Amino acid sequence: MSNSAREVILGSIRTHLAASPPADDHPVTPANPVILSNSDPITRFKESLEAVSGHCIIATDATDATDVLKQILTDLKAQRVAYSDNPPDKHDIFGFDVGVSTAQAAIAETGTLVLDSAGERHRLVSLVPPVHIAIINASCIVETLSEALTLLQKKEISPAITFITGPSRTADIELTLAIGVHGPQQLYVIVDGSK
Amino acid sequence: MWTSIGVSSVGVLRRVGCEVEFDKRQTCCAQPAFNTGYLDEARLVARRFISIFEESKADAIVSPSGSCTAMVHHYPQLFAGDSKWLPRAHAIAAKTHELSSFLVRVLKKEDVGASWNGRLTWHDACHGLRDLNIKSEPRALIRNVRGAEFVELEHADSCCGFGGTFSVKYPEISVAILDEKIDAIERAGVQAVVSGDASCLMQIGGRLSRKGSKVRVMHLAELLNESSQQ
Amino acid sequence: MNHLSSETFKENAKAALADVQLRGALKNATSLFGERRKEAAAGLPNWEDLRSQARAIKDEVLLHLDRYLEEFVRNAESRGATVHWARDAAEANSIICGLATERAARIVVKSKSMTTEETHLNEALEAAGMQVVETDLGEYIIQLAHEPPSHIIAPAIHKTRQQIGELFTAELGMPPTDNVDQMTSTARMKLRDRFAAADVGISGVNFAIAETGTIVIVENEGNIRLTTSLPRLHIAVMGIEKVIPRFNDLDVFLKLLPRSGTGQRLTTYQSFITGIKRAPSDEGPDELHIVLLDNGRSRMLAHPVTRQSLACIRCGACLNACPVYQQVGGHAYGSVYPGPIGAVITPQLMGIQKAAQLPYASSLCGACREVCPVKIDIPRLLLHLRGEISPRKGSRAERLAFKMWARVMTSPSLYRLSSVAGRILQRVMPISRAWTKGRDLRPVESKSFHDLWTNE
Repeated sequence: MSNSAREVILGSIRTHLAASPPADDHPVTPANPVILSNSDPITRFKESLEAVSGHCIIATDATDATDVLKQILTDLKAQRVAYSDNPPDKHDIFGFDVGVSTAQAAIAETGTLVLDSAGERHRLVSLVPPVHIAIINASCIVETLSEALTLLQKKEISPAITFITGPSRTADIELTLAIGVHGPQQLYVIVDGSK
Repeated sequence: MWTSIGVSSVGVLRRVGCEVEFDKRQTCCAQPAFNTGYLDEARLVARRFISIFEESKADAIVSPSGSCTAMVHHYPQLFAGDSKWLPRAHAIAAKTHELSSFLVRVLKKEDVGASWNGRLTWHDACHGLRDLNIKSEPRALIRNVRGAEFVELEHADSCCGFGGTFSVKYPEISVAILDEKIDAIERAGVQAVVSGDASCLMQIGGRLSRKGSKVRVMHLAELLNESSQQ
Repeated sequence: MNHLSSETFKENAKAALADVQLRGALKNATSLFGERRKEAAAGLPNWEDLRSQARAIKDEVLLHLDRYLEEFVRNAESRGATVHWARDAAEANSIICGLATERAARIVVKSKSMTTEETHLNEALEAAGMQVVETDLGEYIIQLAHEPPSHIIAPAIHKTRQQIGELFTAELGMPPTDNVDQMTSTARMKLRDRFAAADVGISGVNFAIAETGTIVIVENEGNIRLTTSLPRLHIAVMGIEKVIPRFNDLDVFLKLLPRSGTGQRLTTYQSFITGIKRAPSDEGPDELHIVLLDNGRSRMLAHPVTRQSLACIRCGACLNACPVYQQVGGHAYGSVYPGPIGAVITPQLMGIQKAAQLPYASSLCGACREVCPVKIDIPRLLLHLRGEISPRKGSRAERLAFKMWARVMTSPSLYRLSSVAGRILQRVMPISRAWTKGRDLRPVESKSFHDLWTNE
């Protein structure tokens, strides 16, 4: 049955295209990439993330980053923390307060985290608990969306890649911004600035 | 239907040194039929337009209407695939200009020696604005009218709601859209609204008058034809 | 569900104009959306280049749609997705209901998908005995209210916060409030256990990448990620026009879509889903089924003017810019797709006889064309559709009137006569009555410009 629907649809596409008069030709050159800022990627990432209500803390090295994480968890009075290297089962994760992950890349121009399922089990840890904390190394920050897309294609595309830009939000009620809907209500990104 | 627009346009063009001819055989650019979907009827009338104006030895065909000018520029679309009429359509379209565009872009004149005392604002008619990119030209011309205080209208580029047969097929929506324009005009506190399209002026003027407003509507040609000699 | 019909657009519009609350909500929403879009577009100096590029990519795909679809399917299937082809709405619903029933599904969570509204999927699933839960906040609101969406991006934009507060109190037992954060928390809480319990997650697709077999879905709330990560079965429904050639093409579209739709640089989440998980113990669904829907789209390929309809990326910018939509809102159009894009695709998808009024419900101002990220020439499309409808379906009086008009306009003597007659008749013609309900007519002039002109 499915095969015949496929053939009907493809056939319909081909027939209608064949019947079409030619279109005007408008050759187009690709748009030049635009770099909008001169500041360094870390600063730019921090500014972009904070502009969308994310928290960004720059740590001096891995030890400092761990201390920052501990401090945030203490401040949040977090009881149950889920980590992406050993995440809880999908039936249990709804009971956790905080999800902690890394990220495989980050985009400075938009303040975006790039999470790749081949790199870590990020899907639920970075989504279900009301707080998501990501620890990244500054070296994983690229300047533009385009660079991130190129990076992802260096190997076969993973089954699940997620871009995260700030905490979850909606403006469905009178276009009034509300932060924290189905995804996390708070996003912290700790940037380990060491080389 | 609005003779002073024609009279004023001729007056302005002569004042800046043009020799003006008017072919009395002309009737219509065919826009009403084209916009309502009666393409065969539009083509009948468009062919007449093309034939008449082809005979002229003039350097340019000038119209005091952005929408009519845009219509003529659409003639190639109307005659697509017609090997006989398409080149003729292209030729006429290339020669046809809207008045303010002709004055500023072709004749390079932004000061036509006009004067008019009062506070006024400009409404961007949609076809002129979006089909012909006419935006800075009328403003440049108005700024040179001695004695006129020009105020930029809020949402000057929003539609007045006329839209040809739309205004009578959907009169309630047409007037609802129009009232946004009227509100902006009232907030601007002007004595006159100027535009480049008679249809917009009829729409806006008709509502202003219904509401008992003292604000008058003027076509750009009428404004530019005003001089201190009067 | 109270669906207005596109066949009664005129009446629907009149009712909408009388609804003061609706008009207030629309005014706020469309002007805010418009300002945000404008600012976001201005933030990219190469905005116009991006638009041209996006349109070029879409033109390329549509001209070879069969080839790109086959490439997409091949790649998606090689990664473990199962792809289904649906000729029409009924077939799509049947496939999806079948998948759910075979797996004894009871609870279905859905993220916003205009395509599934187009096919009326929810009704079909409910008829098959399933509980369907819309999880996008706007969709959740209208589901509770039993209303169709009124905007492509913000489905509940026609409702005030007071109305939504009252709805939540009545349907969800929320303590009375009109505080937006509290309403949002209520929705979050109520939907959490639905996500956890769901057997099936159904989503739409923003872009389908031919080169890699990837589907890309964008959102702000997180409900799409939950819908596509938690249940064992994920069904993604897409119109056949959603395919784009290369992964890198996303750079252009991910710049244009969020800015045009909501004025954001990027929406909070983008999910790039390619097939199914590699190991059973990995996170994510066990199965991914992709349903490709035609439902009239392939017909639109037959002419360059109509083909561009399929370039639409469903951003909603044209709705916000449209003076007609701003006044009457989405419900009046009686279609899942309202506003300027709706006025051109509804007659093509549903058939001209069902939506003949829509192409005429426009002043042809062109504001839509100006904001469309893929440069669809909607006014040109409207005129094309009018050209199909008027000669065949225009009223006899109108067709006759234009035939006479052409005769008058091609005969100088008739023209002169008609000018005189017209000046007398304009006071009494039905057209004048429609005009004079709200506007005065200009005083009649005794002489025309033709009369005044003397050859010197």
